Amino acid sequence: MEVQAKAVPVTVADMNPLDPRQIWVLRIRLGIVLLVLLGAALSIDMAIRQEAPGLSGWLPGLVLMVGLTGLILVPGRRYRAWGYAEREDELHIRHGLLTRVQTAVPFGRVQHIDVAQGPVERRFGLARLILHTAGTRGASIPLPGLVQEQAEQMRDRIRAKIQLDLA
Amino acid sequence: MSEGEAAPRRLHPASLISRSFQILPQMLAGGAGYAAVIQREGFGRILLFAAIAAGLGFVGALLSWWRFRYTIGAGEIVIESGIFHRQRRVIPFDRVQDIAIERRLLARLLGTAKVKIETGGSAADEGTLDMIGLADAVTLRDHIRRWHGGIVPTAAQATAHAADEPILFAMPLSRVLFAGLFNFSLVFLAVLFAALQYLVDFGLLRLEDWLDPKRAGAAGAYFSIPATIGLIAILLALGIVAGVGRTLAREYGFRLTRAVAGFRRRRGLFTLSEAVIPLRRMQLALIESGPIARRLGWYSLSFQTLGADQKEGGVQAAAPFARIEEIEPLLAEARFPSLPPRGDFHQLPRRALLSRALPWLLLAIVPAGAAFLVDPRAAIGAGVVLVMALAAVLRWRKHSWAVGDRAFAVTGGLLKRRTWIVPFDKAQSISVYQGPMQQRLSLATLHVDTAGASLLRTPEIADMDRAEAERLAAHLLGLFYQERARTRAER
Repeated sequence: MEVQAKAVPVTVADMNPLDPRQIWVLRIRLGIVLLVLLGAALSIDMAIRQEAPGLSGWLPGLVLMVGLTGLILVPGRRYRAWGYAEREDELHIRHGLLTRVQTAVPFGRVQHIDVAQGPVERRFGLARLILHTAGTRGASIPLPGLVQEQAEQMRDRIRAKIQLDLA
Repeated sequence: MSEGEAAPRRLHPASLISRSFQILPQMLAGGAGYAAVIQREGFGRILLFAAIAAGLGFVGALLSWWRFRYTIGAGEIVIESGIFHRQRRVIPFDRVQDIAIERRLLARLLGTAKVKIETGGSAADEGTLDMIGLADAVTLRDHIRRWHGGIVPTAAQATAHAADEPILFAMPLSRVLFAGLFNFSLVFLAVLFAALQYLVDFGLLRLEDWLDPKRAGAAGAYFSIPATIGLIAILLALGIVAGVGRTLAREYGFRLTRAVAGFRRRRGLFTLSEAVIPLRRMQLALIESGPIARRLGWYSLSFQTLGADQKEGGVQAAAPFARIEEIEPLLAEARFPSLPPRGDFHQLPRRALLSRALPWLLLAIVPAGAAFLVDPRAAIGAGVVLVMALAAVLRWRKHSWAVGDRAFAVTGGLLKRRTWIVPFDKAQSISVYQGPMQQRLSLATLHVDTAGASLLRTPEIADMDRAEAERLAAHLLGLFYQERARTRAER
């Protein structure tokens, strides 16, 4: 029966990884956040230096330590948490480090598709595919870290399969 | 109105009155507040500022009424609005999903109505004509319906037709009143406190006086045990009365009839509202029941619809207070599968208890320790947390799921029990979530995203066995295609 054929879960092993350059995109993004945090820590440090000289340097040091550890550990893991499998009628995406999520989006449910590219992604020639459904919690499902041409091809393939039907 | 008439129209002038009622209190309060902040030179000045603000508000309402125009064309309605920033919205009739006519008390006194033109879009007030003449409203609705259906009933026929529709469910006055008993509401307390707060803010009342120990003799009388019990009794009685009143105002004359493309619901004592819940847009059915009503066998049925008014969370009541025997025919009429038999429901695995109760139990250690070491009163905190743990355990017991022929069902809820019936073909996406705790215990949450759902209450199966969740997700995906192909073929 058709149902039986489909009723096989898509496992991690069945999924494609993102483009490896996505690790760098994640690293740079996290790095920017860290710089902002470090700036904030430094300005707090300047402000309290007068009142509490003993505490001087602790906060920026802590931010730097934790931040660098995070920068080494997190992007690679987050990258490996991502995966996708394009099937005949649906796209399977998994992501998430702390909370793991695996989602299946039937193409018949896609309302429209975006291919987006941030400044960092553009440097690496990567793009994000975003599937929008009429749903609520998971109404837009992003798939980052695709080579741009690949993302565009995927978009065109999916668009061909979309049947606009709200019912 | 004749076909193709294109003269722009304005709203009924009476809308100025209702608009003013909406704006005036804010403007008055704003003006008074402004005056009170800027200078403290007495009441006269405050009144003056308030009057100026109210005047400005009225002029604004007048301008926006003047600039609001709608044009009914052959195949579309054009709405122009905005005082400075002009907005022109074109709603083609073939995008119109539903036209709801609502009549508040004021509108009924003035012989007008509010028309809501709903399209599939997300904005709640896409096409709202707040107050046009009732006759115009009915003509507009029939005009658009006629455009859709191709049949051309005269106005009289259309009205007669609506009255002839078979009644699916109706609530006599006695049932509305009885339902009100279960809608215990302490909303009036909030109003009371808000009013008290205002009085204190404006220096008209001093709470300190009441709590002054020097006047403890007087205040002590308020807090004696019989007086407290009496007060609680009065509050409870008022809560019941308020609940009955609210229910009566909303559900009076509740009538659900079978319209051509869906269910037509009419209800309301002061605000008379009429809405059609289109069958094609129903996404899932929700059966709810409170703890006491459930014991007595009363339930409510509502449908989650696509693009419905977001204020109600996209959930439209179809039978607010009914027996299961009355609900099942409604489900059948909506072409929804009925509830799977009780025996088909699956419970959650026992280790899900750990993921639910363990965090609370761990949390209880802190106040319990504090109770021993620091202050015995911390035991209250530990007690509260233990109650939460107990609630988590009970929730675990009540949470179950079933896969039926054409839909899957999820039930849950501690006091208010909810059962969702989600037809397979209404899924938007299917996800399996695994939080940190769930990963340790190899549990997972299965979430089926649907259109028009509220963010808080969604049919998800929390803390299933992980492998089972993955299998069920794949199974539901297969059933989605199968059911979708079947409904396509039927159409």
